[in-house]
Amino acid sequence: MLDIQVPAFLEPAMNTFRYAPLAIQLAMIFIVIAATGTLLAYFSILRSRYLGYRRDKRLSYLLPKVDNLIIEEVLTNPEVTETSYSDQLILNTEGFQELPMHKKWVREAITGRIMHFRRNVRGNMGQMLRSLYMQLDLDKDTMKKMKSGKWEKKVQALTEFINMDMSISDVTILPLTNSRNRELRAAARHAYIKLSKNEPFKFFDVVTEPLLMWDQVELFRIISSTEDIAIPNFARWITYSSNKSVVSFCLKLIVHYNQLPAVPAVIKLLDTKDHYLRANAINCLGKLRVPDVEEKLVSLYSSQPLHCQIEILKALGRISSGRYIDFLKQEFLHSTDFDLRKSAAKSLVKNEWIASQVLRELIDTANPENLRILKHCMNPLIKY
Amino acid sequence: MSKILLVEDDEIMPKIVARILPASEYELHHVSNGKEAFEKLDSTNYGYDLIITDIMMPYANGFEILSKVKNRERPIPVIIVSNAGNEDMIMEGFKLGADDFLKKPIIPAELLIRVKRLLMKNK
Repeated sequence: MLDIQVPAFLEPAMNTFRYAPLAIQLAMIFIVIAATGTLLAYFSILRSRYLGYRRDKRLSYLLPKVDNLIIEEVLTNPEVTETSYSDQLILNTEGFQELPMHKKWVREAITGRIMHFRRNVRGNMGQMLRSLYMQLDLDKDTMKKMKSGKWEKKVQALTEFINMDMSISDVTILPLTNSRNRELRAAARHAYIKLSKNEPFKFFDVVTEPLLMWDQVELFRIISSTEDIAIPNFARWITYSSNKSVVSFCLKLIVHYNQLPAVPAVIKLLDTKDHYLRANAINCLGKLRVPDVEEKLVSLYSSQPLHCQIEILKALGRISSGRYIDFLKQEFLHSTDFDLRKSAAKSLVKNEWIASQVLRELIDTANPENLRILKHCMNPLIKY
Repeated sequence: MSKILLVEDDEIMPKIVARILPASEYELHHVSNGKEAFEKLDSTNYGYDLIITDIMMPYANGFEILSKVKNRERPIPVIIVSNAGNEDMIMEGFKLGADDFLKKPIIPAELLIRVKRLLMKNK
């Protein structure tokens, strides 16, 4: 037995413990652990509340001062109304120097406030806020965060750089676009697209991890909402990228930007062995309404898996050239799969400008299930 | 002097708008949510020349303010200032009768011009 020295006041408790049965001893240990854990949890909650209270108190004192200084120096600056604003303009930062700028939390609060202002105004006022941020050397703090080992700090730094429209070197940011941390990876890609003026899509070349669906949604939102972005021909990645998710994403971008010069590269993709990618390529060609591919799609049809066949039928509807009405009619009447019949019917309806006679015939002669499909597809209020 | 009601839950925006619209020409009143906006409008018998409102706010959003104001016999012009980039939301605003829409971040001179134009138009 270990001979542990215990304080005298604990001696009776230790004696009780020592001579208690094993079950009681275990229960006592459990009670001590539970009580200590509860106390620690309470202490941690109290501590974080106290720190939050102190932070709020300090900020409630500091932020009005910062707001006034920003308003005096930026919002009421006569240069704001000038038609062209120079980045070289030296702002009067004396007022800020009177604040305890040597303290990190003060600098962080000022950065946060400048960012908040920039979320509300742009133009000359926005440029002046950016100048203020740089003249107060707050960008150095952001750069320090960027070099931090913690991913949250890096994400914070990237957000600050985006908000302040600061450029970052490719060497710093490109490796982060492949980070294993999902949040950091998304923030770095976001930042790269926003901040790289010449080649915002360069990170597509180095992406090794797949672009997840949510990443694609986010990237699509960023790309389509960023102003003055240089849009490249996405055929480049369709042809050369070995990352299937990048190719798939580029197909969506090709459709969004209606990039008809990319059509030959997309047609080449029809030969790929990956049938999911092939289905995406067919979908893209249909949405681009390329009539020249109809023949190839119809010739491929019989050898394709179900989802590619559905995409081919949909593409024939989207292109709506009216050349394959008989093919669509045949699929509608003789296909055993419900989805194929539905897609064929939908495409026939889209070809209505030339297939109205065929549709009338089908309505008159169809069995109850096919009639329901046709009526569903002909209802303009139903999209799918 | 034109009376303007600013409905905005962001704490910075009222300060910015107050600087953009000179106090010598505009009397700016600020409320921070839809509920306060309704109270203010009721207490002043809708005595405002223009309303500048955000869309996403607590209690009652910008659309509710818009539909209430526009269903009156003498509607007050409304400018929506929001960071909602969603096309549907913008269209919804115009369908409800918004006179103008400005996306955040705003260009100060643009807000001033649009405010002036609307006030001139409704004089």
